[in-house]
Amino acid sequence: MQKLGDFKLPHFFNYPPYFTLQPVRDTREKQVQLWKDLILDYCRTQKIFVIGLEEDFALFSNPVIERSLSHEAREAFLSALVSEGRAEWLDKGHRKCLILWHRVQDWADIIFRFVKDNGLEDSVMTVEEIRSGIESRGTELHVIDRTILMRALRVLEQKGKLAIFKGTSADDEGVKFSM
Amino acid sequence: MRRRPGIGGLQTAAAARDQYRLVGENVAKIRTDMMKEQLATFRTQLEEFARKHKNDIRKNPAFRSQFHEMCAKVGVDPLASNKGFWAELLGIGDFYYELGVQIVEICLATRPHNGGLINLQELCILLRQRKSDREAVSEDDCLRAISKLKVLGSGFEVISVGKKKLVRSVPTELNKDHNEILELAQAQGFVTVEEVERRFSWTSGRAIDALDTLLDEGLAMIDDGHRDGKRRYWFPCVSSNSTPVADT
Repeated sequence: MQKLGDFKLPHFFNYPPYFTLQPVRDTREKQVQLWKDLILDYCRTQKIFVIGLEEDFALFSNPVIERSLSHEAREAFLSALVSEGRAEWLDKGHRKCLILWHRVQDWADIIFRFVKDNGLEDSVMTVEEIRSGIESRGTELHVIDRTILMRALRVLEQKGKLAIFKGTSADDEGVKFSM
Repeated sequence: MRRRPGIGGLQTAAAARDQYRLVGENVAKIRTDMMKEQLATFRTQLEEFARKHKNDIRKNPAFRSQFHEMCAKVGVDPLASNKGFWAELLGIGDFYYELGVQIVEICLATRPHNGGLINLQELCILLRQRKSDREAVSEDDCLRAISKLKVLGSGFEVISVGKKKLVRSVPTELNKDHNEILELAQAQGFVTVEEVERRFSWTSGRAIDALDTLLDEGLAMIDDGHRDGKRRYWFPCVSSNSTPVADT
């Protein structure tokens, strides 16, 4: 079986017609479903948060069978994820896509548990510390995409679980937990 | 001696005929009895055999197939009823009914991928993956189970395309054109319009029409990605799902 790093690719990845958008509805639905699952799976295991449609992305082409997805196909698969709330376009031109293998709400829950597990209920942390501090090492929060992290933090902020404030340096923000 | 005329002669002749008939009947009866006896012996022997090799019949697909063949030759169908002696003795009816159910499940599960047409070999591989226990399943077993599914009248059928056997679980009627295309596709897993036209000397309309039908039925998928720019029609039912497909 073909692999990408330590990622096991599904069989359909080696079947050429899956790289062409299928015209028949039922077949297309199945095709889109397989691709959605593959993209989410791959991004989750490889910790990929943003896919650029015009950039090289390992799943968009398969050199073994000499096939690659057309721009139309890439957009179709990612749009299907967007419509399910598992992805978001980062620009109007649909060139960059944020992949949410956890929904924003689920990320918020992860942060909540992280804070509890580390006894940080009343502490202050910078956003950068959450992403790359010692506490988050080995958790899913490690090197999380900043956009997603901020969204999840805002969800918690609305619930009154924390407050976000401007830090001393302009490019970093602080978080005061109050859980 | 000259035969004497008269009533006595006629009576004697009639009596003789009666005697002959009686003897004849006797002989026939003895023959039937012997036959019955032989059949009974044979049946006991077969039962004895089945009882003795019960485990082999259950576990060994080749043995099972030969046992079926033997039964068929003497006009016994162990699958005819689940209540009969054979079913009770071997539990073989249940074996095939369960297999039938599993085949239906696999056909339904793979339908989105193959459009309801599955290669018999692939079906067997999937069946074996499901059966965690040691019971081996042969193609012969599958065919038997599928033939029992016909009773349900829902169009489970085995069709032969070239050398391969395909199991059809959708009520699509495949005509001769479609079958020929499927057969052609077995070589590489796909065909092109050009190839179909050339191979069968069809008009391009006939080829496209047949391919479009197969596409609509979900039996074919298009592939526009090859560098020669020619559209390929792939058939998941003839190219095995379990091995990577190498492109030529």
